[in-house]
Amino acid sequence: MTAVIEQSIPRTEARSRAHEIWRIVRLHAVNPSIFFGVPWLILGSAWAIMMIIGLIITGAGGPVDDMAKGMRYSWAVLSPQWYLVVVGVQAIGLTFSFALGFGTTRRDFWIGTSMMFGLVSLLNAVAIATLVQIEKATNGWGVGIAMFDSLWYGQQGWLVDFYTTLALQLLVLFVGASVTTVYMRWRMRGMMIVMFSAIALLLVFVAYQTFSGGWMALFEWFGSIGVVGGFTIVLGFAVAFAVGGYLVIRRATPR
Amino acid sequence: MTRTVVHATGLTKRYGSFTAVDAVNFSLEENRIYGLLGRNGAGKTTIMQMLTGQLFPDAGELDVFGREPAEHADVLRRMCFIAESQRYPEDFTPAHVFKAAPWFFENWDAAFAEQLVADFRLPLKRRIKKLSRGQLSAVGVIVGLASRAPLTFFDEPYLGLDAVARHIFYDRLLEDYAEHPRTIVLSTHLIDEVANLLEHVILIDQGRILFDRDADELRGSATTVAGPRAAVESFVADRPVIGREGLGGLASATIDGRLDQADRIRAAEAGLELAPVSLQQLIIHLTGTDLRADSTEQEVAA
Repeated sequence: MTAVIEQSIPRTEARSRAHEIWRIVRLHAVNPSIFFGVPWLILGSAWAIMMIIGLIITGAGGPVDDMAKGMRYSWAVLSPQWYLVVVGVQAIGLTFSFALGFGTTRRDFWIGTSMMFGLVSLLNAVAIATLVQIEKATNGWGVGIAMFDSLWYGQQGWLVDFYTTLALQLLVLFVGASVTTVYMRWRMRGMMIVMFSAIALLLVFVAYQTFSGGWMALFEWFGSIGVVGGFTIVLGFAVAFAVGGYLVIRRATPR
Repeated sequence: MTRTVVHATGLTKRYGSFTAVDAVNFSLEENRIYGLLGRNGAGKTTIMQMLTGQLFPDAGELDVFGREPAEHADVLRRMCFIAESQRYPEDFTPAHVFKAAPWFFENWDAAFAEQLVADFRLPLKRRIKKLSRGQLSAVGVIVGLASRAPLTFFDEPYLGLDAVARHIFYDRLLEDYAEHPRTIVLSTHLIDEVANLLEHVILIDQGRILFDRDADELRGSATTVAGPRAAVESFVADRPVIGREGLGGLASATIDGRLDQADRIRAAEAGLELAPVSLQQLIIHLTGTDLRADSTEQEVAA
């Protein structure tokens, strides 16, 4: 028997690349609790705890001004970020395997996932930056707490808060996702090599800075570029992880 | 005329020093039901993962719908493969799976899926992690059936299904296949359950294809001869024996190959009983390790 492959079967329905990428975004969003529900539940709980603490302090007649100053150092506003690293990990570790079974290409999966990360980061950035303004306008939700108006937030206006949140959010999601692509392609051995290489690089950098006495210059440089400059570096790392993840996932295999 | 949808030549997959699939050659034709049979770890899932572009072969050529499957969207969209060990996104429920399915399978029949959910009594809102093995198999079976993909794989569809559910799968598959012909590959080690569904059987063991034949040809291709030991031995002396059993003075031997009328008369005259061998028994004879020792003995004796 001669096994000749026929001309490929004609397409039964026109399907565009846009459709194939958008369906990945929808796949990530089909269970909205992952990307939206849980992070906002965490943030909401943190807010409730801060409110109760605020009410206790003011109820006991504590100094409101000092309280707000103290709360500036609280990381409550960043509380969902740890969970979002896990979301990035699961997007590749679990959803990727599933999407391959449903006949997606790795390329479309990564582009669709990146688009989802972009959308989530955009929405979170708008929400956080706006909540900072609301908190300031309501004088700490009427209690005088500073949950959102903390750390670097609330000092240089809505746009800076938006930009910094966007950059941080993208970094967090892409770190989780791209590190997991390494696992999906090279399994544990790859993870070990990447982890030890990263640690080695960091140590080399620390050694270089220490022996050349460059730490002060580095800190001064960080001071000179300011919050916006610092988060532009964060954004640069996020883009690097996104590009790296794309290159690695092209030959990744499901578990 | 029939078209070839899959053509593999020298297809190989290695994991370090272990060769999971060892230079196999086979073709799948359009609109037939194939059985990819073999023991656990034979390489069935690995072959299906290569056909669906999930794994990259280490050697050999693979054509699926005219081209290499991996990373080719126009090939991948014609296939459906829910692995037996399929991973699902975090906190997914069957409802999420069936909601997303039409975005990926253009022939998805939602009404059919709904009917199957009712038939299998699948709890739609329960998290996949909490489903029983049978319910998990049902999710894969429902996606496989309702997607109506031109090339559909069922990976161990019977795992954990109760008798009623197995019957439902059997019936629905045949009904739907009659209405919407497509190429179906059933991988399973529960052979008797699917034997009657199959049109063609590919038997794989330790990464190699043992045989690749039409199911009709296989049924009755082997015969068990039973009777007094001496009579059995003389009858099978110059035939390929794939299995032997003995109890006292009685013995039975399974021979590969058809018997003609003269053989049957000779057997009857010698007081031997002939019995057809089921697909499952045949496969046990061909892949059972203890029997391989027997056939070596036979070769030495011959």
